[in-house]
Amino acid sequence: MSVRTACLGTAAVLVAAVAACSSSSSSGSASATGSALAQAPLKTGGSITVLESAGYSGAWSNLDPAQDKEGAALQDFNVAIYGQLFELGTGGKIVPDLATSYTFSPDAKTVTITLRQGVTFSDGTPFNAQAVYYNWERDLGPIAIKNGLNPPWLVAMQPAPKGSPPGTPEPVAAGAIQVTGPYTIVVHQTVPNGAFIDQLFDSIPNWIASPTALQKEGASFGQNPVGAGPFTVVTNVPNTELVVKKNPTYWQAGHPYLDQITFKTVGSDEAAYEALLANQGQVYEDMSTNALLTESAQHFELENNLGTSPYDLQLNTSIAPFNNPKARQAIYAATNFAPILKSIFGNRYPQTESFTGPGGICYEPVVPGYQGYDPTLAKQLIQQTGLNKVTIQLGTIALSTAQESMEALRTEWESVGLKVSVSSWNLQQLIAAFEANHGKSWESMVQTAGAYDPAGGIGVGFRFSSLSPFSGVHDPNLDKLLNEAQGSTSLATRCGYYNQAAAYIAKNYYGPFFFTLAPSNVSVHGIGGPGLSTPLASVAVVPTIPWEDVYYNPSAS
Amino acid sequence: MALVQQIQLQGGPGARDRARRAAGSPALRMVGRRLLAAIPVLFGVTLLTYAVFSALPNDTAQAVLGLRASPAQVAALNHTLGLDQPFWVRYGRWLGGVLHGNLGTSLEGQSVNSELATHLPVTLELLAYALVVSLLLAIIVAALAARRPNGIIDRLSLVVSMLGLSAAPYAFAFLLIIVFAVKLGWFPVVSGSLGSSPASWFKALTLPAASIGFPLFAVYTRILRADMVEQMQREDYIVTAKAKGVAPWRVLIKHALRNSMFTLITVVGLNLGTLVGAVAIIETVFSVPGIGNDLLTGISNHDVPLVEGIVLVFALITVLGNLLADLLYAVLDPRIRYGSSTS
Repeated sequence: MSVRTACLGTAAVLVAAVAACSSSSSSGSASATGSALAQAPLKTGGSITVLESAGYSGAWSNLDPAQDKEGAALQDFNVAIYGQLFELGTGGKIVPDLATSYTFSPDAKTVTITLRQGVTFSDGTPFNAQAVYYNWERDLGPIAIKNGLNPPWLVAMQPAPKGSPPGTPEPVAAGAIQVTGPYTIVVHQTVPNGAFIDQLFDSIPNWIASPTALQKEGASFGQNPVGAGPFTVVTNVPNTELVVKKNPTYWQAGHPYLDQITFKTVGSDEAAYEALLANQGQVYEDMSTNALLTESAQHFELENNLGTSPYDLQLNTSIAPFNNPKARQAIYAATNFAPILKSIFGNRYPQTESFTGPGGICYEPVVPGYQGYDPTLAKQLIQQTGLNKVTIQLGTIALSTAQESMEALRTEWESVGLKVSVSSWNLQQLIAAFEANHGKSWESMVQTAGAYDPAGGIGVGFRFSSLSPFSGVHDPNLDKLLNEAQGSTSLATRCGYYNQAAAYIAKNYYGPFFFTLAPSNVSVHGIGGPGLSTPLASVAVVPTIPWEDVYYNPSAS
Repeated sequence: MALVQQIQLQGGPGARDRARRAAGSPALRMVGRRLLAAIPVLFGVTLLTYAVFSALPNDTAQAVLGLRASPAQVAALNHTLGLDQPFWVRYGRWLGGVLHGNLGTSLEGQSVNSELATHLPVTLELLAYALVVSLLLAIIVAALAARRPNGIIDRLSLVVSMLGLSAAPYAFAFLLIIVFAVKLGWFPVVSGSLGSSPASWFKALTLPAASIGFPLFAVYTRILRADMVEQMQREDYIVTAKAKGVAPWRVLIKHALRNSMFTLITVVGLNLGTLVGAVAIIETVFSVPGIGNDLLTGISNHDVPLVEGIVLVFALITVLGNLLADLLYAVLDPRIRYGSSTS
């Protein structure tokens, strides 16, 4: 009898625990979904905790922009501390922040940027063209070069010392960047580049640090950063927690809305979701676990932002079997991404036939002449080209979305008679796979190609230009189209060239496109702001949230 | 010998005799032997780790610099990091640094020494919290269970222990989070920077310590309970004590438990090595800023100096933990302490 009582007692504890689990996942089911709720009314003051993924934005060591090895992953902190010269706003608008305007010369080689007047860094140092010049010299100089962080600006560089290997980075040449007035700075590029401002987004030169603090703090600046952004640093425990408070000298009246933000590293999507449920965090960016996205929509605000980088299939045209256009066409005809998108991703993302996404410029979801799904044609071409006699090597990066896509493709291709061998690697192994045997070892890869501006970031050239080691295409005609698209300052002209490039890729079957992954941000009810309650385009992985515009109204929860 | 010399230098009457006794102490000789044996163990662990990392396909410099870096930039960083050197040169250079107290620089540009100085105390605190609480609870529960084998407490402890042994720490951690952080709101989901007050420290580390400690508690309870029951039912000295009229609780605690502690100490020492995996996972789940968390980050970033430094520390903890276990034998057993025959 006593034994039974003991077991019953234990069972009761278990049942209580399980009940706690199940009720936690259903407690919010009575409330309206995030998307159905109206945006919370604006409220100033208060504080929030933003959860940062340990595998991406939650890993930081140095907040000095010139030594930011994590790159765009640290955009939350950099935007809060330094602000930005230009912001990428809602609807893809270029929003002036610490810079007020820009002009291109007619040949698109020279860019003149005008800076905001009357701004000071939080340590009292004036914000002006000299401060920007000081920062850019660091960003393009020995400190950044030593760490391999200097951005690939198309400006003249100092001559390399004799004996240096070709391509060795050197600091920027004298005169390539000029201060032409107290609030005017000019960049002289060596080739036409109409994408210069777009390329600034989410890059190191868009974040300007206080020159005084840089000199005073020296090596410890990265732990105690000073900028002219909406917040100043209170405490900084790298990789763990960054606390910032409202900058009393911030230039924009009435901003920031929040008094304090705590950025806290969290180990996984699941832990972040639980922290939001416990209201121990209010915002989590880039939730990628599908099951948790569905749950989050029940309990929180779920903002599906605008994607810019479509998944695509890269085909290596340098080697067999995909040096044969008919074999590439067979792959196009054998690929139907609609059922995959529906069954795996719940139709959450839009399909596309090009390298642009709905959040970026020149978006073109349908490309004339694009070879669609045609299993009958696929089978004919497979027989004709002998693809059924070889095993196709298909690879991707070890991320769940990419791996699921790859597995689904394998199943689909096998149904039309192809034999497929799949591999997934971490980033380093993936790089090694691309580079092995001078780029002639890999056959096909599921990757992403595209960016907010196709000329920036991991854009179209990265996957399709002859010069990129991560491209499977070596076609001078396509290179020419891409260069002409980047070289114009007219958006219409640029989009015209990009549309031609998309049609050219489709015509030559250089690689089919699948869907544009859209980053989803989750926040508790009552949070408002771009990227959290209204959609924003992402430049890199997630949209750059302007934290000065974010507010928290708990009474609207 | 250092201790002997120290005693000799202190001088005074009988100092030489005391020094001789110390040198001849079996416990001290054992410590010396174990420390000497630790050297090849630590060397082997670091060499193996270095070899495994070198064998993995990777391009660390390219990964650090990003996909857009030029081959010249990659080559320059490889040279700066010494990655263009042969395996033995790289390992020899790292080992030379270790012998001089320098564990190198991580790929993030941070000194591994300072990383460990910042994060090792957190991990040690977490491990100590988990170990101490799980041991105390295990001793109490095992004693209660052993007092009446097959009684209600014994059966209950069996069920709880089975749960602890069968539940993955990762899953158990989330169960704790849901119940104690989300539903009850007693503890944080994210430990973060732990805070400066004892209360915030306690709140931040309780759930991670419980996640690590519960499986340990389960193992310790089952082993200690089984050993104590055997002692109570089969050993002559127990029968003698009972015949002398010693109170049952006193027999259990003073005699059976004391003898059963040898088994427990052995298991605790052996378990230390396996704790590495649990610490790495649990620290990541709760975002505890310890070296377990760093270890996973280092492995995914292929940060060899950081991983080597942490592996070395974990190996050292395991070796020292086992040494401590051996010393505890001596504390508990006068025959070991005084070098008598144990046969």
